[in-house]
Amino acid sequence: MAMRQTPLTCSGHTRPVVDLAFSGITPYGYFLISACKGAGQHLPRLSGQHYGKPMLRQGDTGDWIGTFLGHKGAVWGATLNKDATKAATAAADFTAKVWDAVSGDELMTLAHKHIVKTVDFTQDSNYLLTGGQDKLLRIYDLNKPEAEPKEISGHTSGIKKALWCSEDKQILSADDKTVRLWDHATMTEVKSLNFNMSVSSMEYIPEGEILVITYGRSIAFHSAVSLDPIKSFEAPATINSASLHPEKEFLVAGGEDFKLYKYDYNSGEELESYKGHFGPIHCVRFSPDGELYASGSEDGTLRLWQTVVGKTYGLWKCVLPEEDSGELAKPKIGFPETTEEELEEIASENSDCIYPSAPDVKA
Amino acid sequence: MQTPVTIPVPVLRLPRGPDGFSRGFAPDGRRAPLRPEVPEIQECPIAQESLESQEQRARAALRERYLRSLLAMVGHQVSFTLHEGVRVAAHFGATDLDVANFYVSQLQTPIGVQAEALLRCSDIISYTFKP
Repeated sequence: MAMRQTPLTCSGHTRPVVDLAFSGITPYGYFLISACKGAGQHLPRLSGQHYGKPMLRQGDTGDWIGTFLGHKGAVWGATLNKDATKAATAAADFTAKVWDAVSGDELMTLAHKHIVKTVDFTQDSNYLLTGGQDKLLRIYDLNKPEAEPKEISGHTSGIKKALWCSEDKQILSADDKTVRLWDHATMTEVKSLNFNMSVSSMEYIPEGEILVITYGRSIAFHSAVSLDPIKSFEAPATINSASLHPEKEFLVAGGEDFKLYKYDYNSGEELESYKGHFGPIHCVRFSPDGELYASGSEDGTLRLWQTVVGKTYGLWKCVLPEEDSGELAKPKIGFPETTEEELEEIASENSDCIYPSAPDVKA
Repeated sequence: MQTPVTIPVPVLRLPRGPDGFSRGFAPDGRRAPLRPEVPEIQECPIAQESLESQEQRARAALRERYLRSLLAMVGHQVSFTLHEGVRVAAHFGATDLDVANFYVSQLQTPIGVQAEALLRCSDIISYTFKP
């Protein structure tokens, strides 16, 4: 009997989720940070002040760990360092902040001259790259927070995303219509790509040095070293974010039609698509082990989806039906029975549906 | 062609959300030992540190150590001492959530080798393995 995807909805944000990032795999598993645009509801005494509340979650289950409190505006970008000991956020209050991701304490506030949109740690967590509406890339030495950051100018419109690449020897940055490659040591531009349409997202895959860029309905793959195009796919709707599976077998993408699409990276064939969000999808990322992907939407939810539907992983538990039986078999090992009715309830609770949303699975 | 009947993938539970009254990051949370600043319990200078929270910290550390020992056993040969002096050996697979059952494979019993088996924890007196 075929299984259908049960997305897991992570509650907490009630405002649009605009960015999300996974950490690397640590001895404690992996973690997920999400950023949202405005006032969260989970601390009622603070309502009335509209600011984004980035949240840290356990990556494989979506369980909430904590909320980083301190920003006074929408949080546009959030990231974790590789071992999830530090977090960084970029906000509309003209600051980027660095946090202790174990205690939740704020470590540093880095003042900027305009809205900050993007933050990224180097592999060794010694430097933080920031970018935003003031069109400057800034590099902060986190061991010398009082020192002035190094600045790289050249962008002619607000920076949407900035990433370290090539073992932190280079920097990739995207503004509305260009993607630029910079050399870290000389702080000069190496190459640039121009687009006719607004670049909506960028993801860097270190293994294989691949850059994933989305613009319009296109999902494009370029070499991160030379910016030469590798391949590109067209989606049925405007795409806001895409992510490539660590083993480069699949990619997932989501955008303005509220749907998530999964493609075979080699052939470009659309493998699966899911309805479930009831707002445009702003960000989508594969987990570092590739077993799930997370999507953040205008509808204020973060959802986790299985890469291989029906596999036992995290909170998803595969129960195989017995042969010659029409019913779902009771689990043999003693954990609480979940009847099919209860499963349907969980699935529909998860969807937060106003209208029915049966996921389309194109096998 | 009929649409195939599909069943939704079962889930153990929903992801836990914010607790509604705190910012989270439990002080004695699972990652606390990673932080180098956390002092040893005996050297802790905080006078108000109650015996209770010291005990809780010790319990949490021991529990974590036990769970990690289970993780370290996966795929290894483990020998179990059961009741009435019976000893069996097997490849350890997993335990269930309450550690009430041990899922093993290639269980060597006095009457033959069982490809897959569940050992009830209540039947096990002790077990040992070399990592």
